[in-house]
Amino acid sequence: MTATSPLLSFSGIDVVFPGGGTAAVTALKNISLDIKAGEFVSLIGPSGCGKSTLLRVAADLIGPSAGVVRIDGRPPDEMRRQREIGFVFQDAALLEWRRILANVALPLELQGVARDERLARARALLDLVGIAGFENAWPRQLSGGMRQRAAIARAMSTSPRVMLMDEPFGALDQITRDRLNLELSRIAEREAMTVVFVTHSIQEAVFLSDRVVVMTPRPGRITRVIDVDLPHPRQLDMRGTERFIELCQLGERLLSEGFDDSAH
Amino acid sequence: MTAHTDAMSGMRMGLANALAAAMPCLITTVIVLVAWEVAVEVTGVPAYIIPAPSRIWAALISGNASLGYHTAITAFEALAGFVIGSAFGALLGIVFAYSPLVARSLMPYVIASNTIPVVAIAPIIMLWFGSGIGAKVAVTAFLSFFPLALNMMKGLQSYDRTVMEVFHVAAATPLQRFFKMRLPSALPYVFVGLKLNVTFSVIGAIVSEFVQSDRGLGFVIMTAYRTLNMPRLWAAMLASALLGILLFVLVAAAERWLIPWHSSMRDNS
Repeated sequence: MTATSPLLSFSGIDVVFPGGGTAAVTALKNISLDIKAGEFVSLIGPSGCGKSTLLRVAADLIGPSAGVVRIDGRPPDEMRRQREIGFVFQDAALLEWRRILANVALPLELQGVARDERLARARALLDLVGIAGFENAWPRQLSGGMRQRAAIARAMSTSPRVMLMDEPFGALDQITRDRLNLELSRIAEREAMTVVFVTHSIQEAVFLSDRVVVMTPRPGRITRVIDVDLPHPRQLDMRGTERFIELCQLGERLLSEGFDDSAH
Repeated sequence: MTAHTDAMSGMRMGLANALAAAMPCLITTVIVLVAWEVAVEVTGVPAYIIPAPSRIWAALISGNASLGYHTAITAFEALAGFVIGSAFGALLGIVFAYSPLVARSLMPYVIASNTIPVVAIAPIIMLWFGSGIGAKVAVTAFLSFFPLALNMMKGLQSYDRTVMEVFHVAAATPLQRFFKMRLPSALPYVFVGLKLNVTFSVIGAIVSEFVQSDRGLGFVIMTAYRTLNMPRLWAAMLASALLGILLFVLVAAAERWLIPWHSSMRDNS
């Protein structure tokens, strides 16, 4: 891989869902996007713009109807089988019958990593995401924010090349969300993670990202990509700065321009 | 660790609560037994109509033609039938869950088999399997496979779709999906089925002993009935109830041990 070639690339992606009696739905139309290693990119747009679908295509959860996806030059299913893809869902989706430590170690267990090694790795990750004291707790004993921290640790366990996050903080309260945004930003920087992050919140997208991809629905397509030229590391009080507010307003304007309410 | 401390105190609270919850029932039982004993004494009602609790107790513990022996026979039949029936039920449930076509083809027969009254099917099965203990086990097994088949199928289909996607992204094999996701998700349902089965298994064993037998609680009930030995009849009834409760409690204990994570359990040790 040369320095200029992207780690994750979408070219000409179409996703069409068969309608099942009604007309087929075009979820994504001709999406092309390149993401470099170590980049944090957010996908933002109203419901139905296909941002989650795009993420799922990258994770080999959906096959595209047309176009090509490459992760480090290889197809997603191959990268998935090599445990090079981490995925965090809106629901933490922890296994209720496993304690937190065993939940975080699950992908390594499925991979066949020896017990001592995977538990040591899981412990280090619990420490990294700030829930080190809860390794023996059951998932239902944890708050929503803590469950999501565990889900992030689980997705990081195999040290994947790309981290795909589908509205991971969408169900959390604002204070927990701010806190997790700050910590995710810190972790992503320290671990040099390549992240694609889906969200409804322009503030969240601007705060976390190097680039914000604004999408519009019917059919899902990219309207514009905003370069976020805010300094790293990001701090919460940065959200009061002129540049941050400017970028958020730009994002909001692009979202409302692309949003056609008449189809509802 | 707060999670630990909370769960520990929660466990102690649970025990105290369980005792407190059982107290009204215990007191009621004592009152009923005393009133019963006094009423039989005062009214002089004959023992072949209603025996006094003290006489039932005497019949229960009398060493002569020990009820313990017959209870053990019935317990063996019930337990063996329960294990065999549940094993078949579990297998059938797994096949149904993985093959909708097989489920659609066979489910009507399985449901129909479950609607046959045990008293109607028991003589037929016993003609096939003879008059020994094996025949009783067969009747019991027949009775206790359906609830687990159905609950195993429902349980295996009840997994969380997002958890399935987690397994997909983590490149889990089909066997890993079964043993690390679908089967654990199914366990709460499995225990619903097992608790039903264990109750039915005692009924199956006793009913098949009614048809033909020379030992077991069903045999004791029939002979006590023919000889109008009411205290013994009541004692056998009590023994069969206690057997049913004991087996149920064993399954419930296994449930606590195997699925401590489930919402009904508080243990964190």
